Amino acid sequence: MGGLVPLDTEVNGERHRREVEPRLLLVDFLREYLRLTGTHSGCDDGLCGACTVLVDGEPVKSCLMLAAQVDGARITTVEGLRAEDGPHPVQQAFVDAEAVQCGYCTPGFVVAATALLARDAAPTDDGVREGLVGNLCRCGCYQNIRKAVRSVGGSR
Amino acid sequence: MTVDEMRQQPWVGRRIPRQEDNRLVTGTGRFADDVTPQGALHCAILRSPHPHARIVRVDVARARSMPGVVAAVSGAEAREHWAPLPPNFALPGIVAPRVYGLAVDKVVYEGEPVAAVAATDRYLAEDALEAIEVEYEVLEPVMDVDEGAVDWYGDGSPASPASPRLYDEWDDNVQVRYDFAYGDVERSFGEADAVVEARVAVHRYAAVPLEPRAVVAEYDPDGRTLTVRVATQVPHQMRTTYARIFGLPETSVRVLTGDVGGGYGSKGQADGDVVPILLSILTGRPVKWAETREEWMLAGPVGSRGYVHHAELALRSDGTVLALRDRLLADVGCDGVVRAIGLAALIVGATYIPGPYRIDAYDVRVRGLVTNKPAYGAYRGYGKDIANQLIERLMDKAAAALGMDPLELRRRNLLTEFPHEICTGPIIESGSFVECLDLVQEKMDLPALRREQERARANGRFLGVGVVSTMEPSAGAIPMSVFSGFESATVRLHPDGTVTALTGLQPIGQGVQTSYAQVVADCVGVSPADVRVRWGDTDAVPYGLGAYASRGATFGVAAAHQAATEVGRKLLLAASVALEVTPDDLELGGGTVRAKGSPGTAMDVADVAQRTYFQPGPYAMLPGEKEPVLEASAVYTNPEVNWLPDEHGRLRIYPTHGSGAMGCLVEVDVETGGVDVRKVWYVHDSGRLINPGIVENQLIGSSVQAFGGTMFEQIVYDDAGTLLTRTLGDYQLPNAASVPDIEVSHIETPSPITPLGTKGLGEGGHIGIGAVLLSAVEDALRPFGAEVLETPLTPPRILQLIDRARESRARESRAQTAGAVRDDV
Repeated sequence: MGGLVPLDTEVNGERHRREVEPRLLLVDFLREYLRLTGTHSGCDDGLCGACTVLVDGEPVKSCLMLAAQVDGARITTVEGLRAEDGPHPVQQAFVDAEAVQCGYCTPGFVVAATALLARDAAPTDDGVREGLVGNLCRCGCYQNIRKAVRSVGGSR
Repeated sequence: MTVDEMRQQPWVGRRIPRQEDNRLVTGTGRFADDVTPQGALHCAILRSPHPHARIVRVDVARARSMPGVVAAVSGAEAREHWAPLPPNFALPGIVAPRVYGLAVDKVVYEGEPVAAVAATDRYLAEDALEAIEVEYEVLEPVMDVDEGAVDWYGDGSPASPASPRLYDEWDDNVQVRYDFAYGDVERSFGEADAVVEARVAVHRYAAVPLEPRAVVAEYDPDGRTLTVRVATQVPHQMRTTYARIFGLPETSVRVLTGDVGGGYGSKGQADGDVVPILLSILTGRPVKWAETREEWMLAGPVGSRGYVHHAELALRSDGTVLALRDRLLADVGCDGVVRAIGLAALIVGATYIPGPYRIDAYDVRVRGLVTNKPAYGAYRGYGKDIANQLIERLMDKAAAALGMDPLELRRRNLLTEFPHEICTGPIIESGSFVECLDLVQEKMDLPALRREQERARANGRFLGVGVVSTMEPSAGAIPMSVFSGFESATVRLHPDGTVTALTGLQPIGQGVQTSYAQVVADCVGVSPADVRVRWGDTDAVPYGLGAYASRGATFGVAAAHQAATEVGRKLLLAASVALEVTPDDLELGGGTVRAKGSPGTAMDVADVAQRTYFQPGPYAMLPGEKEPVLEASAVYTNPEVNWLPDEHGRLRIYPTHGSGAMGCLVEVDVETGGVDVRKVWYVHDSGRLINPGIVENQLIGSSVQAFGGTMFEQIVYDDAGTLLTRTLGDYQLPNAASVPDIEVSHIETPSPITPLGTKGLGEGGHIGIGAVLLSAVEDALRPFGAEVLETPLTPPRILQLIDRARESRARESRAQTAGAVRDDV
């Protein structure tokens, strides 16, 4: 197991200083240590995207990253997107476009879509298809998810 | 429409945003794995690396001394503490193996649980598995069913005679035998002008919900009570099952759900998920288990489909179908009754193979054979897809044989008068099969597609068009099973005018919270925002049966409607006392009770409720009422379900039936074998719609799932029985780039047998899309003369079909040439 390693990271604007096992995955650190359970685990292999978070603004599959690797980084989870006065525009767009069924994949999609829109404020439909190919929705809501993302893009 | 008029409109039928979504988009939903009680231990399960082996010895001693480990248990040790897993149904012709949550003497699939540990941390629990020693005596695995060696007629030849038996106590490897015949099949075949035959086969694919199985068990040794938070579709049946397995009274067992991350049929049984419960009982501490994706792929209810039909259809030259014969054989993995619940899908399939067509002579035999693969799970479609896949391929084949337009052939045979009892027993209560077919044809603009196809062919491109009919039996109720036919609800109007609606149904993504709130809101005159729907706590809601067989919009909604209607009646009665107007002259809506035609005489619902509870109280406001509170409970069951077979041995297990038609356009790249599904059109009729947005999502979602299953998803084992598709990298799911656009249109033909005219829905896309994709690809390959009767439609298969068709053409042309030469002589 080896010794513990120090971790100093900012998650959703709050600084956390901990000592963690080197092998601890970021997704487990967020869910089990910080109780930020909006980040979900769906495949353990970086293939479904349910665990997507932002690390210094970049989308990352948190099941493929060690907690120790985010030492000094700023993390945003789906809980951190929410503004004081209500949901983030991407979150609201998912509601308005009927882009949710069971909702297990939704946090990952919302985070990935936020990152996509940060790269390209008005993506084309093909741009959204390709931009979200790393996230899976088993309920098959892709049509409405694309609509949701483009509605935010279009409003800018 | 004025705002006030808007408020008076019924909520049922309106496309309002879902109440569920705010928590789900912000990450504040509560799925089973989101809860970790104080002091919880974490469970890890050791699984068999062999698909078929005897367990010689299991030693967990070393694991017990590993860091953080609190308990470790083998199957033999566990047997002292629990009962075998109970069968989920007991239909005639089905046998159930006797198995435990941890294997005792023998394993019958790779991934079967053999031992488990509980440790203070998940990582430590997984470390400890490596310290468990297991000695196996490896046996030859049975990985396939032999189509040529099946005993169809009970003449003594054993099914798959060369195969070793999976269960020592069974006579053979057959888990289900089901035979049914109706009408004079022999004579009809004898009188037919044309008989078409087909072998239609579908491979193994699976539900793969994104949320794997998860259990948080808390046993309190002092009170001998057990609380289990679990990702399930059927919380009450889980309570009954856990009580039975662990020898506890049901009063001491509480099951909780919350949000469930997709089920699609897969979360309807107890299997390996009982292991953490045992560990909680053994340690007296909370124990949590959240399986990995690899565990789901190895040992979830992964089996589904994996069947082959050998069928014949007899017709007159005018296209009238006379008779149908089918032999349906399925590979059901190690079990489809105890460890999973897929087996009855084969009987459902056999029941609905005649589909929406008038077929009065029918003979079917079904055999489900066990193999050394994981259990045969329920998955959306549940046999209705097995039926549709066959009948629709036969219809296309028959049209080709008779030289008829395939849609015209369908129209000649589709049911048009309702109610209609089909030959296998179900009563199709209402429908619009012809109208759906007409509308899909119009939406597709079929003539334009045919022109496009012709132009493309001239340029060496291969477009194909397919159209099929679909029938969507819903609200299944299986006698002699834990999936029987009732649902319950309690509706409670509070003193402040808000409403709690308790339902035994379980949300798994199908919008129960919102659609039930719409139904209840109309009955008690408030807004859905004032209705809080609660579910998934067996201590709080009445015994109900949960989510399966598309039963929500019938059983669940009808129970809620029945209870809410009674509350609405009492509310009007109380208001009539307060307003001094007879109840018949009052109306409800927009949060008020008003005198009809006299808008000034009105009260807020909240005021009526307040007065009924306290000012002066129920005896004054509801005089003469036996239950003078603004609360009612109801149980709904549907009289169209029969509980005992009729004189022909027929069961009516689905009371409502949706109609539909599906079309699609594909392009096949004959060089690479790639199929591009360019568009899908789906016309659907499931009676009155409660919330069209919610309905459309399920229609599209079920289509997307079966699109994946038909095109590329597949569970693959090597010859030694080792699973090759262990990750979502190996098992491909549809993604944003691969799914086609699906255009949905509705027809609303109310069901005459449900209170709101609703029918169940949610599986329709899954029922139709397999057949329509095969049909369209076959149409694209028509220049080659390839028949498309088998899935998945992967590039290698497409290339193989083209090659075979070319070879067969070449053989024919050689034979013709040879014949011509002989003629010359």
